[in-house]
Amino acid sequence: MKIVYNWLKDFVDVKATPDELASRLALSGTNIGGIENGPHGAVIDAEVSSNRPDSLGHYGIAREISAIYKLPLKPVTPKPKESTAAKAADAAHVEIQSPELCGRFTARVIRGAKIQPSPQWLKDRLEASGVASINNVVDATNYVMLELGHALHAFDYDKVRDHRIVVRRAKPSEKIRTLDGIERILAPGICVISDGDSSRAVGIGGIMGGAETEISFSTKNILLECAWFEPVAIRRAARALKLHTEASTRFGRGADPEMAELASRRCSELILQLAGGELLSGVVDIYPGKRAPKKILLTRAELLRIMGADVPDKEIESSLSALGFSPVRVDQNRGAEGSLLAAWECTQPSWRADVEREIDLIEEVARIYGLDKFPPRLPAARQGAARLPHYEAEARLRERLIGLGYQEILTIPHVAEDRDALFRPPDVQPARLANPLSEEANVLKSTGIVTMTTALEWNLNRGQRNVRLFEIGRHYRLRGSESIETPILTIGATGQAREKGLYETAREYSFADLKGDIDALGAFAGGSTWNEGGSAWLNPAGRGRIALHNEAIGEAGELTRRVAEQLKLRQEIFLAELQLAPLYSAIREAKESRKYQPLPRFPGVERDFSLLLADGTHFSDVVAAIRALNIQEIANMEAVDLYRGKNVPAGQYSLLVRVTFQSRETTLTEAQLTDFSARIITALEKQLSAHLRST
Amino acid sequence: MTMSTPEEKNKTGLPLVHLGIARPEELAPLFADLRGRFDEECACACDESSWKQFRDTWLGRKSGVLTQITDNWLKPATQELKRVVGQELNQLRAHVESNIEERRKSIEAGADETASARERVDLSLPGVIRPIGSHHLIRQVLQQIEDIFFSIGFSVVEGPEIETPYYNFEALNIPEFHPVRDDMDTFYLDLPKGAPQPLLLRTHTSPMQIRTMEKRQPPVRVIVPGKVYRRDNPDATHSFIFHQVEGLAVDNDITFCDFTGTIEYFVKQFFGPGVKTRFRPSYFPFTEPSVEFDVSCIFCGGSGAAAGGGTCSKCKGSGWIELFGAGMVDPAVYGFVKYDPKKVSGFAFGMGIDRLAMLKYGIDDIQVFFQNDARFLRQFP
Repeated sequence: MKIVYNWLKDFVDVKATPDELASRLALSGTNIGGIENGPHGAVIDAEVSSNRPDSLGHYGIAREISAIYKLPLKPVTPKPKESTAAKAADAAHVEIQSPELCGRFTARVIRGAKIQPSPQWLKDRLEASGVASINNVVDATNYVMLELGHALHAFDYDKVRDHRIVVRRAKPSEKIRTLDGIERILAPGICVISDGDSSRAVGIGGIMGGAETEISFSTKNILLECAWFEPVAIRRAARALKLHTEASTRFGRGADPEMAELASRRCSELILQLAGGELLSGVVDIYPGKRAPKKILLTRAELLRIMGADVPDKEIESSLSALGFSPVRVDQNRGAEGSLLAAWECTQPSWRADVEREIDLIEEVARIYGLDKFPPRLPAARQGAARLPHYEAEARLRERLIGLGYQEILTIPHVAEDRDALFRPPDVQPARLANPLSEEANVLKSTGIVTMTTALEWNLNRGQRNVRLFEIGRHYRLRGSESIETPILTIGATGQAREKGLYETAREYSFADLKGDIDALGAFAGGSTWNEGGSAWLNPAGRGRIALHNEAIGEAGELTRRVAEQLKLRQEIFLAELQLAPLYSAIREAKESRKYQPLPRFPGVERDFSLLLADGTHFSDVVAAIRALNIQEIANMEAVDLYRGKNVPAGQYSLLVRVTFQSRETTLTEAQLTDFSARIITALEKQLSAHLRST
Repeated sequence: MTMSTPEEKNKTGLPLVHLGIARPEELAPLFADLRGRFDEECACACDESSWKQFRDTWLGRKSGVLTQITDNWLKPATQELKRVVGQELNQLRAHVESNIEERRKSIEAGADETASARERVDLSLPGVIRPIGSHHLIRQVLQQIEDIFFSIGFSVVEGPEIETPYYNFEALNIPEFHPVRDDMDTFYLDLPKGAPQPLLLRTHTSPMQIRTMEKRQPPVRVIVPGKVYRRDNPDATHSFIFHQVEGLAVDNDITFCDFTGTIEYFVKQFFGPGVKTRFRPSYFPFTEPSVEFDVSCIFCGGSGAAAGGGTCSKCKGSGWIELFGAGMVDPAVYGFVKYDPKKVSGFAFGMGIDRLAMLKYGIDDIQVFFQNDARFLRQFP
């Protein structure tokens, strides 16, 4: 809504500069988009909130100003000269068949008007308001709309069949060509203004008039409609028609039904002034929706309970009076100013459908009094605050991943269906969008992997070759008609694990990096284990499933070449996805059950076993074979070197296993160690056909 | 190197009687002179050989100054003087011994500095650079906000991003065809036929107000960080996904003053104590009174003028930046969660994190948050 500063002065004698005025309006609830100084003076752009249709006219804004500055608001009392010979009631007939859509319909008739261009002053005000000038009669309706906030429509009286208006619901597939020249198909539930026997639509009630009855330069006689339409029906209709007009905005937010007759009178006055002619006496006024004004009680007790600081009686009364609520003290202590028991009975003005309750009155008082007058303070806390249950586990995972060199990302879950399908397990029902913005974003990711690959791709395409990323997020799936959001950790890495530097050589990121890093996370949860297997998009030779206490929580591995090529990823990509809920609870449990292990008092001794093993024999087989010997003094076993190639027969590999022996009771003797080693070698030779290499 | 004159040196070679000293109070100046002489010489001992000579002068067993004092002053002194000489001598000895030792250490340390250029590290070269990751900037801002509110008694809760119209709209006093729904263009899920209710991507974190109040009785004090979605075409300032932190405090005595106090506390913690704040009346269906909350522009300091002349582009010359919407919980909302609106009151707010981060760090394109370019991520370790 563009507010023409000079126009306001028709109604309130405001002295403040446009800047000051805009600032005060903003601080009392009229959002200000900006101020422009044009040829017609200052124009303030007010972004009126949807609950305040009364502010969609200069008179309504003037009322706000009168309340803010405590200035009198000039009344609007148009008294157009009426014909003594003819009555409107004889010249026009109105019937409302759908009072649930149209609560009031007024019609006035003006005969012998001369349609011509508007005078300059009128053109100027319309132009300043951003409304095009058409002719004096149409301009008069627009002018009154901008002035009083109520939309009107002028018909060519002679084109309205039988001079009869019937307001009804649209018939199925009913058509109308609106003023903008577009033929529109109406849906039932839309309010239609029809004429004659009601077979022809001549307007969409509260939205736009029809082309067939519009005012032209040959129009002589005018039928002036000023009505009131049900807001919800208007909003539905405007949305269904995709037709949002000045009229639909005002009626859709809830116009003032009482204003209909006044605005009609004001507009008639203006038409007589601009176009001459004769106004038939009286008005046809069908008003099935008339309501008695609501009484609302405001108590100081409630004001204090909500606002936490007081407002003086005078301020309460002057603000509410200026806004039209006619407050009357009704409590026992009427004489006592500032009484805690004070209560005011207020009357809801017809233009403030948004104010129905005591809380609404409190807001009115507070905003006019000034929100800055309520002193800020911090409320006392009455109970302890809690973080999310997984706060600590999540924080530790995140810190460790960052320490391991991974950067945290946040991705948009909207992805393309075909891309999502690459990683989606076969039995998963994706969460597709009914109204996606594009086909590239028509489904919510059913795995974290799909957006992780996009993030890697983004970086690879921009020369960032060595990237390690992680995301703590969710994936989204459906089960029937239910949605399932699962918290997940997704890891993606590519390029070099270590770049060539001054002191080190370069090394490519490998499966072992991924495994080591995941195990570093699993350590928080009491240790993770790995099993064979994994999704089809993972390279079968470099993948595994991750479990905590035998419960599978995810998988990790190298992206297959097939998928990598499809995504045009031209280097090895490593990916992992873990479910966070079981990981979080395992971390919590592990933390709770962790106990101190006394440090060994006797030295540990390492023995290396250089083994030749058949391909397919795993390190875990070696460990199991040694464990089976049940030697209590074995403190640790690790693989320290692995070699294939020269000097190693085909089909075999060389593995160096380091065993640490340590006793809690005594220093181990050479004889004991020799015995342990012999037993280990025997076991490995027997069970795994391992050969001990001479080192 | 300034050495002491022979006369001075000689003093310790002569018994006190010969120096004409008979009274104890005459001893102090004598020792003070000695200490001055020592300090002077100490400063001059700047390499190993001069230090050795200096040490022998003072601590030499046969003819060091301290030995001389013992032999010539202390031993022959009268009973009256002996006690004082002893005291003075002990003090001087402590001073001499500790300073000589310190001097030695500093000379040795200096010797490392003279190592050849070949052996020295080049400090301009980097150390071993290990790859270290980073927190996403949005996560950092979320964490900071969470910490501030946690410190004043707000618990943290999370909720689903896929919501029902009931929680996203209806229970928040936004019935169907409410004009506010036009401002929140909404993504809906494509559900199988016969689905009991539509599902949508939440347009704000406010549904968690309802879910929280359904589960808990007052006092309630929570914040809800999370992703929200609006069906806007993406550009530099719009993303169809962004992050919000919802706040809700309900109790039997929460007032508007508590609300503004809480918000001001937060903003001063977040942007710094110098920031000015204002509350403008506004409209949201689920708060009453409703406000828009502004802070003084952090780019122009609230002046509205750009540094290089003209108006500040961030606040468009107003001096204020709109941060978020908030207000006192509308009593109608309590009806949906079976709270008694006559007994409880409270406030709620919902702030956009991406915008806050953009303001604080001068980011002019919201899309960078979601592109995850490693070069961007590294800027905020």
